[in-house]
Amino acid sequence: MQSNRLLSALALFCLPVLALAQSPVSGFMNGKGHGAVALSYTAEQYDNVFLVPNEAQGVPVFNEVNLNSVSLYASYGISNRLDVVLGLPYIQAKGNANETVLQELGFENERSGIQDVSIFLKYNPYSLDGAIGKLDFILAAGLKTPLGNYKADEGLQSIIAIGNRATSANGLAIAQFRTPSGFFAATQIGYSLRNGEVPNALVGEIKAGYGNRYFYVDAWYAGQVSDGGVNILGEGFEGFFPATDVTFTRAGLSVFVPVAGGFGVSAGVNKYLTGRNIGEATGFSAALVYSF
Amino acid sequence: MRFISKFLLPAVFATALVSLISCKKDDEVLPTIASIAVTNADFSTLEDAAVQGGVAVVLSNPNPGDPSGDYTVFAPNNAAFARLGLNSGADLAVLQDAFLTSTLLYHVSNGNLAGSSITNAGTSSSALGPVRRFITRGSDQYINGSRILATDVSASNGTVHVIDKVLLATGVDIVQSALALQSAQVFIAPELSFLVEAVLYAELAGALTASPGSPSFTVFAPTDAAFKQLGVDLGVSLIVPSDIRQLPKEVVTAVLLNHVVADGGKFTSEMNGGMVAPLGGTALTMGAFTNGTLTVQGKSNTMPANMVIPDVLTTNGVVHVIDRVLLP
Repeated sequence: MQSNRLLSALALFCLPVLALAQSPVSGFMNGKGHGAVALSYTAEQYDNVFLVPNEAQGVPVFNEVNLNSVSLYASYGISNRLDVVLGLPYIQAKGNANETVLQELGFENERSGIQDVSIFLKYNPYSLDGAIGKLDFILAAGLKTPLGNYKADEGLQSIIAIGNRATSANGLAIAQFRTPSGFFAATQIGYSLRNGEVPNALVGEIKAGYGNRYFYVDAWYAGQVSDGGVNILGEGFEGFFPATDVTFTRAGLSVFVPVAGGFGVSAGVNKYLTGRNIGEATGFSAALVYSF
Repeated sequence: MRFISKFLLPAVFATALVSLISCKKDDEVLPTIASIAVTNADFSTLEDAAVQGGVAVVLSNPNPGDPSGDYTVFAPNNAAFARLGLNSGADLAVLQDAFLTSTLLYHVSNGNLAGSSITNAGTSSSALGPVRRFITRGSDQYINGSRILATDVSASNGTVHVIDKVLLATGVDIVQSALALQSAQVFIAPELSFLVEAVLYAELAGALTASPGSPSFTVFAPTDAAFKQLGVDLGVSLIVPSDIRQLPKEVVTAVLLNHVVADGGKFTSEMNGGMVAPLGGTALTMGAFTNGTLTVQGKSNTMPANMVIPDVLTTNGVVHVIDRVLLP
């Protein structure tokens, strides 16, 4: 695989798993005229919820939640210093509530649909090359907005809502250092401005890994801090989940293997470590990536 | 080295940020009452009841009806609900939502009622309206017939005390309470239908209806299944409530009066083993007070009756629903 192809794949496949959570952009640039398309599948499950100040064993009403998503991602290098990244997830959230309880409450065990489309521009204004490696600084800006007509305001039914229906404007700053031998470390911070009652959020991620022409592997640690918001079942909570203070840390591992003809496959695992007002989910993901 | 220094600055910053996330605001706050119910495994049925009864969001927030912003909640644990056959959220479907909501409100009062201020013969008004009575028995404290297992669990919007039985109050008198059950306003299926028919047939409704200055009673109320079993035991046909009217009115009257004690209305927490005299005159035998309940046996019964729903407060007495008709 050509190095640009590999970079394009890397630019993309380090993907947001559920686009609610993780940074949609990596520290790798495509290169002009190069790009990648990926189809990813993720599965997450949780039966405990990080509430404040204590954790709930068993998801209220739904007992446990299984999330499955299929997402389409694409990125393209408009120039060597400018990429565009698109993402569109379809998400299915399934609860495991007792049928009688569902009837009593008028709830359903499933919510699904197309979630939020996102578009990001990545700009690499400055790089430093040297004997021990290369240091890239990248700025990214993006918009994310609901494309599907999913609901987030159905009271406790929205425990299994697939998103928060916010439109957000997002800014990210990334620094990535990589050595000629293939080791790299990257860090990013950003801020997400959300409309309506959804709190804005500060996001951050650190990542380290190794890649060569045969494989790539990384480990990451990421988080979000909501700027305000109410706690579920806390003061000010009116049963409207988008207004909650969704804060978490999360860690994961990813691998990517180029296969042939521009195609590659990736797989990953991730887990929420700490949080507020979010499920204590463990998940895995797999993706088929075509890069050019 | 310039790479490292230039990279380290943002890296350290991001690491610090992400680490900060995990300890954000974690030093703060008590849970709300709703959060206590949801995060404590022994309150899972109460959690389901609060969701179904529509009070989960109310108990997440400060009490707008009290200057302190606080509620006091007597919280039945899972075993308390299990006494009534309510072992999960699905079991709550046997109850009408309005009854469930009002029952939950009977567990709630405005302001903070500290465990130390609970004293024998004291009372506390509820958010539903009817008062609750405090009773000291030995070293235990009771609210109505429910034993207080733990006191003073602090919440950000009040105080929680744990109890071993669900508190029940109808807010109406004995006759109206029975009619509410008979007309499926409590359970979604009618209950006490035979008893209501018998009271009407024996023309005792007036005596058991509250009026100014009227006495209060302890009433043992046999279930429909108890009447049907009586029919089997006596070899008479008691299939539907109107079958009661095939029996002589004086017999029905005598049997009913055997279920009513003119003692002001007593909770199980105020009862002891031994003989009590019902209005019918033939003594009833109470079994020992065990795990918050007592058996009761009529003179001609071969087996004692069990209380299936004890300690229901009405405006003119306390009703204990039992599983056998008490024969004089």
